[in-house]
Amino acid sequence: MSQNFRVLQEAADWFAVLHSGRVGEDERQAWQAWLAHPDHAHAWRKVERLSGQLQRLSSEPGGRAAAGVLRSRGGRRQALKTLGVLCGGGALAWLGGDRLTARGWFASQRSAVGEIRDLRLADGSQLWLNTDSAVDIAFDDAARTLSLYRGEILVDAPTERRPLLLRSAEGVLRSERGARFSLRQLDGETQLSLYAGDFLLRGAGQSAATLLSAGRQWRFSSAGSIASGPLERARQAWASGMLLADDMRLDAFLAELARYRHGYLGCDPRIAGLRVVGAFPLADTERVLDALAGTLPVRVQRRLPWWVSLEPA
Amino acid sequence: MNSEGIVRPNDLQRLYADHHGWLQGWLRHQLGCAHNAADLAQDTFLRVLARDHDVATIREPRAYLHTIAKSLLVNHWRRRQIEQAYLDALALQPETLAPSPETRALIVETLLQVDALLARLPEKVRRAFLLSQLHGLTYVQIAGELGVSERMVKKYMAQAMLQCLTLMDDA
Repeated sequence: MSQNFRVLQEAADWFAVLHSGRVGEDERQAWQAWLAHPDHAHAWRKVERLSGQLQRLSSEPGGRAAAGVLRSRGGRRQALKTLGVLCGGGALAWLGGDRLTARGWFASQRSAVGEIRDLRLADGSQLWLNTDSAVDIAFDDAARTLSLYRGEILVDAPTERRPLLLRSAEGVLRSERGARFSLRQLDGETQLSLYAGDFLLRGAGQSAATLLSAGRQWRFSSAGSIASGPLERARQAWASGMLLADDMRLDAFLAELARYRHGYLGCDPRIAGLRVVGAFPLADTERVLDALAGTLPVRVQRRLPWWVSLEPA
Repeated sequence: MNSEGIVRPNDLQRLYADHHGWLQGWLRHQLGCAHNAADLAQDTFLRVLARDHDVATIREPRAYLHTIAKSLLVNHWRRRQIEQAYLDALALQPETLAPSPETRALIVETLLQVDALLARLPEKVRRAFLLSQLHGLTYVQIAGELGVSERMVKKYMAQAMLQCLTLMDDA
């Protein structure tokens, strides 16, 4: 065995140890000592080069999912399994858990706090369920109906013969074509971000309908008020498990982040106006808080497990 | 190879003149696309040029060209497969996240490189490695997914990394 191969072997072993998530301080020190040798450092740079490439793949939209094909070479296709991993098992769960009603397929979908789910519907639609959300999916001969009870959905629906109906507490939206939109149930209001397609809105208890067109964000209440504003396209990133902040106020950022965790999350008014920039993984909000503390003049005050506030550093 | 180790232009020209039409025709038949066939035929001759061969001593030029072209063709299909998987995956993403063409090219290139590095690993080793590195699963989760012990997952991780490091060394 050549000297060089042995070094590579040691580097690979260290890599396996360090990624195990159970590294003791003594092990870390032993690794540091090993790394001090120039040959070892040289081998380790290769480990890091590869890790960096994989990191890049996993953080780029589509990169991680596309990597599923890398697993399909050894005979058996793993595509379905990959899908299961990516979607948290949600994709097929609703087909199995359905109840058949007189009107057709009926499904109740829920997500827990911090959970983001990804469903493919019978018409080929893609539906993402944001944290702490509940939606009914009812497809029958006459219409494709989505009823949002809580939280938020992002939907990419194809055009087909049946219209698309969206129900919220504040009204019914109808589209004869496909659409890409997110629908969010707020307190006493419904928010529709319309990326493609258009909807006719009929407010609860109203007789007249209003046409809502693509490229805007709409908010309506049951009292009949309709407001529109510019689309916040970056908001869709939650469907990929990311929170994108482009010069976002800290308090707004924390309010968004708080949706993905239990308990209180807030900040001292003196730092509420600090600006946050970056892409943050929603799956690990603790890590996001630590990242904030690393880049902004703030510190994380964890008074109780469910009471976290950011204070001036 | 001649005494200077240099491919003589005349020999290559002859090889090209004699067989380029045939090679491109064969590739066009395989690919169903004249444009790609022309590219791959060109690549095949570039490979011949890059190898330490005296072109004049190649006994069965068509069999030789055929072998090189076939390996290029396999790479080509694999690239197409990976590109398609990537485009499919992108189609499911919010459009705001659509990467630039440069980023796309880079991602496909990276996928191909990783694919080549992991290609010869046993199925479970490759899956363990990707589940950890791309999907962020813990060793315990991977052990559950693959039906092996956590200790075995750690071994798989080391094995996969060693294979990559060895191949990277050669490059």
